[in-house]
Amino acid sequence: MYELRQVDKKFPGVHALKSIDFKIGRGEIVGLVGENGAGKSTLMKVIYGAYQPDGGTITIDSVAVRFQNPRQAMQKGIGMVFQEQSLITNLTVMENIFLGYEQQFVKFGVVNWKAMAAAARAQLAKVKLDIDPNMITAKLSFAQRQLVELAKVLTLEERVDGDLVILLDEPTSVLAKEEVELLFRLVRELTTRASFIFVSHRMDEVLELSDRIYVMKDGEVVDVVSAADANVDAIQHKMVGRDVDKQYYREQKQEPYDADRTLASFDAVSLGKKYRDISFDLRAGEVLCLVGTEGSGREAILRTVFGLETPDSGSVTLKGEEVRAFTARSGVEKGVGYVPRERKVEGLVGGMNVYENMTLSQMRRYSTAGVLRLGEERQLARDWIDKLSIKTPSEHKDCGGLSGGNQQKVVLAKWRSGGSDIILLDHPTRGLDIGAKEDVYDMVRAMSADGVGILLVADTLEEAIGLSHTIIVLKDGEVQHRFDCAPGAKPTLYDLVHYMI
Amino acid sequence: MTLERLKPHLPWITLLALVLVVGIGDSNFLKPQNLIAMAADIVPLFIMALGMTFAIYIGGIDLSAQSVANMTTVIATVALPLFGPFTALLCIVAGLALGGVSGYVTTRLLVPSFISTLAIGGIAYSIGQYLSGQRALYMDAAMRDGYFGWMVGSSFGIPHELFIGAVLVIAAYFVQSRTVFGRSLKAVGAGEPAAVASGINVARIKIMAFAISGALAAIAGLLFSVKLSGGSPTIANGFLLPAIVAVLVGGTPLTGGVGGVINTLIGTLIVAVIRSSMLYFEVDATRQQMVFGLVLIIAIAMTIDRSKLRVVK
Repeated sequence: MYELRQVDKKFPGVHALKSIDFKIGRGEIVGLVGENGAGKSTLMKVIYGAYQPDGGTITIDSVAVRFQNPRQAMQKGIGMVFQEQSLITNLTVMENIFLGYEQQFVKFGVVNWKAMAAAARAQLAKVKLDIDPNMITAKLSFAQRQLVELAKVLTLEERVDGDLVILLDEPTSVLAKEEVELLFRLVRELTTRASFIFVSHRMDEVLELSDRIYVMKDGEVVDVVSAADANVDAIQHKMVGRDVDKQYYREQKQEPYDADRTLASFDAVSLGKKYRDISFDLRAGEVLCLVGTEGSGREAILRTVFGLETPDSGSVTLKGEEVRAFTARSGVEKGVGYVPRERKVEGLVGGMNVYENMTLSQMRRYSTAGVLRLGEERQLARDWIDKLSIKTPSEHKDCGGLSGGNQQKVVLAKWRSGGSDIILLDHPTRGLDIGAKEDVYDMVRAMSADGVGILLVADTLEEAIGLSHTIIVLKDGEVQHRFDCAPGAKPTLYDLVHYMI
Repeated sequence: MTLERLKPHLPWITLLALVLVVGIGDSNFLKPQNLIAMAADIVPLFIMALGMTFAIYIGGIDLSAQSVANMTTVIATVALPLFGPFTALLCIVAGLALGGVSGYVTTRLLVPSFISTLAIGGIAYSIGQYLSGQRALYMDAAMRDGYFGWMVGSSFGIPHELFIGAVLVIAAYFVQSRTVFGRSLKAVGAGEPAAVASGINVARIKIMAFAISGALAAIAGLLFSVKLSGGSPTIANGFLLPAIVAVLVGGTPLTGGVGGVINTLIGTLIVAVIRSSMLYFEVDATRQQMVFGLVLIIAIAMTIDRSKLRVVK
């Protein structure tokens, strides 16, 4: 019924979708799985019209279609239930359900609220939600909001002749177990009205709900299996699986860390809903990797070490001193350096040049009575440009104009030149090409050899395994398992995925 | 050459073009005496705009500048018989304090600067009215000449206001380009999250920027009251719009991070030329603000960095 043929999508520097074939039949539930960055979200965006493919065809009932925007896709019966909920919380439930489609209730320029309420009630009945459509959305629980979103998408049924395809993006991530079961039962019943595409990190759920499963990796569909003969292990191998070249991650350069020198430690630290009861020690020369899915608490832990988040309980110790004031300033003073995922937002200031960025965290060291010693700053920048072979015409070049890999080197140089010896790396190789990634791996090993403790959130599982001395697997903010990763005795991808999902 | 490449050079090209147009139209315009008089006349506005530059450079704005200047004219006139030369210090401290409060409200209470400075401006305006009893006050001529006469005299045919303006712009340029504070200002304006993540105390930098803006507005007010030998809570009215125009046509966008005090110098000169050309083309004084309003909109539309704006409200 709905079909993608050889759909391609490219972004600057990334081939996000490579010749994707995808189809869904009437009343079918199709699962879509893959690691972060495998191309799931891009594919979804192409399907519901937020992106236009660069190549290939989209057909509905064998008729080619092309959507300029999500609204056009909706007119053909394709609706999206968003992971980050798209309801406007200060509107009523019915206003949300008919947002943008109020015209049907308007007479002489005035909205007939009664008619809208009645229509909204009919929609809510489809998802078996018995609430007053006049309620303010903010008062609903998350599970209820999810159902309202579904009801909103189901209004397409009346507006569109033809079949519905509804995308569910991680619909279970905020739901309790019973709520998940309710949702699944509902989705199965609704297959009389629509087909569903179900995206989730949780493999067991995908297997339970779907009729067929598409497995994605690196922008390609690597396998399509029917739920009947699906096997969790096989799918997980497909999801993560290429053979990993040990040289690539510089495993041969991995030296044992100094177990006697603890640089940072967490003792039963908790922060709201983000993570609970986390304990670990980071030793000099150690690469400690936090592994988990998006939202498992990895980033929040890094940001706590740096001082951007303040935990509710437990104690954080940096170099033998318990941290009392959680500010970035105190983190920097303690020798913590943060290489954030959003390189261009938090990592460096676009519009400032190389030496200005390198000394941004340590201007005091390059000034007398508040006046900067520009000559020394420039000298420092030239030294580090040589040391890390940063490709830039000079230290005066605007950092916003450097390539991703060179920007990352500038960020690392900022911290290393200031003597930071606790380095937090959040997706340090995101968006870099292979050569630049290898440079980053070399730098990680060089820092370890210098006795720097590194807390890493890796871009892929292979990277996590290849680089780490120690891996801590997190799920829903709690530690699941701790792996030692001595060279030659590293855990496999499967070992990790098993604890993640 | 594309528009993007041309943009940084637009301010001085505009200035040059305007000077040529007006110079061809009015042969007296380009005479040195006229140019010097015009420049001296614009100095109080320039000082106010210089302060405004700091607020806009970090991505904020200071709508209290005009009211602070108004208030300062009154304070200067009232305080002169009591404090003599220390009146100047009092004025500057008052401006620093009010600017500091604006900064505090903006950074700690998280009130956007356009509203916090508007409110502080209301307070300053009211202080001026209260202290003056809503009348125009006059300075004692002998005391004024004794303590502050140097501000408005002239040497070698050059009015002293120009020296004051020059000293301030050099000092401001030094702060902007050579100090830790100036570098921090740039970082906050160009990329606040990265500045935070580098351990810079962003709140303090912002408070200082607003305090400097207040202090320079106060210096502008002091110069007004010395020039006019008196004070009144409405004396500087009509200066806010041209001051903002001066910063923006100079090439410091409302989103901050680029431009700076030299741009404001050029921007102020553009404003000065526009003003004198309005005299030449006999645009009525009551209609001048219309022109500045239009220029402001054009300048903002041309300079603002839309990638930094998520939503425009």
